[in-house]
Amino acid sequence: MPATPPSAAVEAERLHKRYGPKVAVEEISLSVATGEIFGILGRNGAGKTTTVELIAGIRKPDRGTVRVLGLDVRRDRARLRQVLGVQLQDATLHAALTVTELVRLYATFYRDPVPAGELIESVGLTASARTRFESLSGGQQQRLSIALALVGRPRVVILDELTTGLDPEARRQMWSTVERLRDSGVTVLLVSHAMEEVERLCDRVALLDAGRVVALDSPAGLVKRAGFAQRITFRAASPVPGGLLEGLAGVDRVRADGDRVVVEGRGDLLQAVSVALVRAGVVATETRGEQAGLDDAFVALTGHRLDTEEEKIR
Amino acid sequence: MTDVTVHRPGPRAFAELLICELKSVARDTAGLIVPIGLPMLILVMNASAAGREPVAHGRTALDVFVLPLVFTMVVATTGIVNMPSFLAYYRRSGILRRLGVTPVSPVMVLVAQAVVGALQIAVGIAAAWILAVLAFGANPPVRAGAAIGVLALTVAAMYAVGLIVAALSPTPNSSVAIGLTVFFLLGATGGMFGGRDSLPEAIATVGQWLPFGAGTEALSAAWMGAPVEAAPLIGLAAAAVCGTVVAALFFRWD
Repeated sequence: MPATPPSAAVEAERLHKRYGPKVAVEEISLSVATGEIFGILGRNGAGKTTTVELIAGIRKPDRGTVRVLGLDVRRDRARLRQVLGVQLQDATLHAALTVTELVRLYATFYRDPVPAGELIESVGLTASARTRFESLSGGQQQRLSIALALVGRPRVVILDELTTGLDPEARRQMWSTVERLRDSGVTVLLVSHAMEEVERLCDRVALLDAGRVVALDSPAGLVKRAGFAQRITFRAASPVPGGLLEGLAGVDRVRADGDRVVVEGRGDLLQAVSVALVRAGVVATETRGEQAGLDDAFVALTGHRLDTEEEKIR
Repeated sequence: MTDVTVHRPGPRAFAELLICELKSVARDTAGLIVPIGLPMLILVMNASAAGREPVAHGRTALDVFVLPLVFTMVVATTGIVNMPSFLAYYRRSGILRRLGVTPVSPVMVLVAQAVVGALQIAVGIAAAWILAVLAFGANPPVRAGAAIGVLALTVAAMYAVGLIVAALSPTPNSSVAIGLTVFFLLGATGGMFGGRDSLPEAIATVGQWLPFGAGTEALSAAWMGAPVEAAPLIGLAAAAVCGTVVAALFFRWD
């Protein structure tokens, strides 16, 4: 056992994992500080789930090492299981058992579990405490799954697709639960493809694409890499004279697709564009302005959009 | 930070796991039909055909041939078919994966399931026995202790075979198919579809060492008060040991 405490809660070094000919994780290194909410963001097949499975010690990497609170996840499994709570994306529970029965069962696996009633209440399942797992809605099953990840008072929690399948109200409730976890000093590793969730919760985000970390920064830091701060889209009733918008102060990029025009830039962009259009006698309709977000950063960094799986139903 | 002491889930966790498994079984009424209903059906189908003439020590053909066969079938269906298919379901649904990230050991999960299976076997055998006594005037084994011992060893052997099936099947679904195939193979070579006398000699000899044939033969001997030979006992014990070793080496959570 090392005498000096590790500085990081999770330390993954040069992880590599392939399934047959398919490389799931090419080369992933990341370091999660204690007490941090760390996001892993990426599309389906980017290697998110494999990465967390390697970190949770469920899968054996072909190469590389993972330490959680200084414990080697493959060799110190017994210790690891005491301090690491895991919510798996595709794991279900005993179908015929009720919420209370399942929480009580999992509680017996740990030294100092959270009392069942308290835990069930914290994820908003008190009214369904006597409902069998198979009769719960998808969102309720998800919440129970999160409760079970927390029952042993873990110091590090892995949450895989935390709010997939939850309605907006339940989603916000889950987010407060995660924020309370951070307040109590728990380190959270959050796998997600929901931008809003990552932007709101995460201190830092690793952006995964094709089995690699393509960027690692705070959500705000990632947004900066989108290459622009604002975007304005509008429909032009008549053609916009060439060079009109490109020459404006603060404009970085102009794209036209038929009568639809997209302008990206910074500063008082909307004002500048409107004035220029009016002066040129171009009538603009359906004008929409938006701040750059993680979505845009994702496109800038990987070359493709993330939202193709936003509607994925579990 | 690494001053983590290991808390191993103990008897309380095991008891809770066992209770939960029992509740799951009890709430799945369809799952109870095979282990309890099938042996009774086989018994009824064979009881009237078996003569009432005493074969040895006042025991009839029903006692020394049909009941050992029925009891061995109860054990075999539970051990070789039900147990792997239960594990298949647990794997496919991710229940084992989920348990795999808790401090609970896979052995505890397996043992809890084995106990549940043993209880199912006990209920199945008890039901068949009561029916045999009440409806067909069955007699208890001459050497009851030996019969119970043989039955226990058969349970261990059949479970071990089930564990081999579960551990070596490439996918969860294939384990059910493989389990059924193994069950019928063992049954066929062990006299499930008629006496072993009618089998080719080589197959009959092999079948005598395999758990099904060995179990029925040893149980039959104990029932009629004859000495239980070493061969079937060795066969059963060997199956139990092999299965446990294979399962320990190859068990997977998913």
